[in-house]
Amino acid sequence: MKYYTYYPGCAMETTGKPIQASIDAVSKVLNIELKELPDWTCCGCPGESINELMSVALATRNLALAEKTGLDMLVPCSCCYRNLVNAHVIFTEDRRIRDQVKEALAVVNIEYKGTARVRNLMDVFINDIGLDVIASKVQNKLSGLKVASYYGCHQSRPYGPDDFEFPEWQDQIAESLGATPVFFPLKAQCCGGAQLFSQRDMVHKLLYKILDDVERHGGQCLATTLCPLCFTNLDANQGRIKSRAGTRFEMPIIAVTQLMGVAFGLKPAELGLKKNISPVTKVLDPYLKVRA
Amino acid sequence: METTIRGAKTFVDEVAAEPGGEKINECIQCGVCSGSCTTVEWWEHPPRKIIAMIRAGKREQVLSSTSAFNCVTCYLCTVRCPRGIKPAQLIHAVEAIAEREGYKPKTPTIKLFRSLRNAMRQGRVWELGMALRFYLTSNILYGLKDVPLALSLMRRGLMPIFPPKKVKGSREVAAIMDKVEAMQKAGGAQ
Ligand code: SF4
Ligand code: SF4
Repeated sequence: MKYYTYYPGCAMETTGKPIQASIDAVSKVLNIELKELPDWTCCGCPGESINELMSVALATRNLALAEKTGLDMLVPCSCCYRNLVNAHVIFTEDRRIRDQVKEALAVVNIEYKGTARVRNLMDVFINDIGLDVIASKVQNKLSGLKVASYYGCHQSRPYGPDDFEFPEWQDQIAESLGATPVFFPLKAQCCGGAQLFSQRDMVHKLLYKILDDVERHGGQCLATTLCPLCFTNLDANQGRIKSRAGTRFEMPIIAVTQLMGVAFGLKPAELGLKKNISPVTKVLDPYLKVRA
Repeated sequence: METTIRGAKTFVDEVAAEPGGEKINECIQCGVCSGSCTTVEWWEHPPRKIIAMIRAGKREQVLSSTSAFNCVTCYLCTVRCPRGIKPAQLIHAVEAIAEREGYKPKTPTIKLFRSLRNAMRQGRVWELGMALRFYLTSNILYGLKDVPLALSLMRRGLMPIFPPKKVKGSREVAAIMDKVEAMQKAGGAQ
C-alpha cells in the first residue's frame, strides 16, 4: 500500500464528481491509499491573475497542513497542482513574498517550513506505481481503441515533471491498457477553462481547435487529465460547437482514470461514467460488456 | 504620459515592483512569447508589445487595453522565454494594477475575478454562486445562454444549488485574505 495526503480541490466535489469516483476506484485496484487532507481550503488558483500574493498565501495555508502529515501531497486537478507548486517555489525562492506570506499566515497561527512535496497523479502512476503494475491489473484489454490523450496546460506547465511541449505519460498509460495512443499536436494546448464564463467565444474556438485536431488524427475518444476544468469544458461544451463538417462534435470525453477503470474491469457506475455528458458508452461498450 | 504611483518613478518601475514584473528590463524583445501565445489572435497588443509599451511609459494605453485580460494562463510563453522572464506572471501584474486602479476594460474578466474572490472567501468555491454573481454584475443575457449547460450539469448532480458546507478553515481563509488586503493597502506589500 502507498499512502498520500489527498488534496481534491473545490471542483472535485461538484463538476469533478465522475473523475473523483474513478480516482477512488482505480486507487483501490492499484493499492494507493488517499487520506484526504483535513480542513483543506481553496488553493487560491483563480485569484493569481489578479493578486499573486493572495493566491500564494491561500495555497501556502494548504501546503502547511500537508507538511504536517509528512506524506506526499497528491493533487488531481491541474490548476490546483500548478498553483500549489507555484506557491511552494515562490515561497522558497522569493524572500520578499515569503516574508509577506508568513506575516499573513501568522494571523491564523499557521507556519510553513517549506518542505511539502506536491505531486500530480500521473507522476505517481508512472513513477511510484509503474506501467508494468498498471498493465498487470488489466482485465479487459482496450485493443483497437484509438485514444487521444489530452494534457492541457497546467499538468506539465510550468513545473510538471512530464515534457511541457509534448507530454507522454498519459499515452504510455493508455498503451499499457492495450489501447492505441493517437498523437495530435494540440495535446498540451490550453482549453481556456479559466475564461469559460467571461470569454465564451474565445474558449469555444480553443475547444474547436482541440476537438478538430483529435478528429483529424483519428482519435476515437479523448482522454483528459484529472482536471475538472478541462474535463467539464470539453465534455459539456462540445454540443455547442460545430465541427468542420457543420454538425456537432460528438467526441467521447473520458477522464484517464475512467479509462483505466474500464480496462481494470470496473463497473460504469463505480467510474462515474453515467455522469459524462458526451457519448462515452458508444466507444466503451465493447470493453464494458465483459462485466456489465 | 508618465505618472508617479506609490513612490515608483516610471511605469516600468511600477510594473517591476509587482510580483512577476521583476525581470521586465531583461526582455530582449525576441517575440517568442507572442509567437507562442495561445490566444494571441484576440490581443490588440500581443505580450511582447505590451512589454515594449510598458517600457515606453504608455501607462494609460496599457492599462485600458483589453489585451492582458485575454491571457488564459497556459504558461506556454513562460516555459519558452529565453530570458526566464515568465511573461504570464508579468501579464498578470498588469491585470493586477488595472484592477486595483479601477480600469474598466471592455471585457468582463475583471468582474469574473471579483466574483471569484468573493467565492474564495467562503473557504471553498461554489461555482453556481460565483457564476450567478458574475452574470448579475456583468451581463444577464449573456449568462442566460449558459442555462441549458447548468441544467444538464444539475441533472447529473454536478452543480449543487447550495454552497458547500463550511469547513473550519473558511474563517482562516477570510482572515488571511483580509490581512493580505490590508498589507497591500498599506503599500508595504507591493
Ligand atoms: S519571450 Fe521573453 S525575452 Fe522574448 S519578447 Fe517575450 S518576454 Fe521578452
Ligand atoms: S500564459 Fe497568457 S500570455 Fe502566455 S501564452 Fe498563455 S495566454 Fe499567452
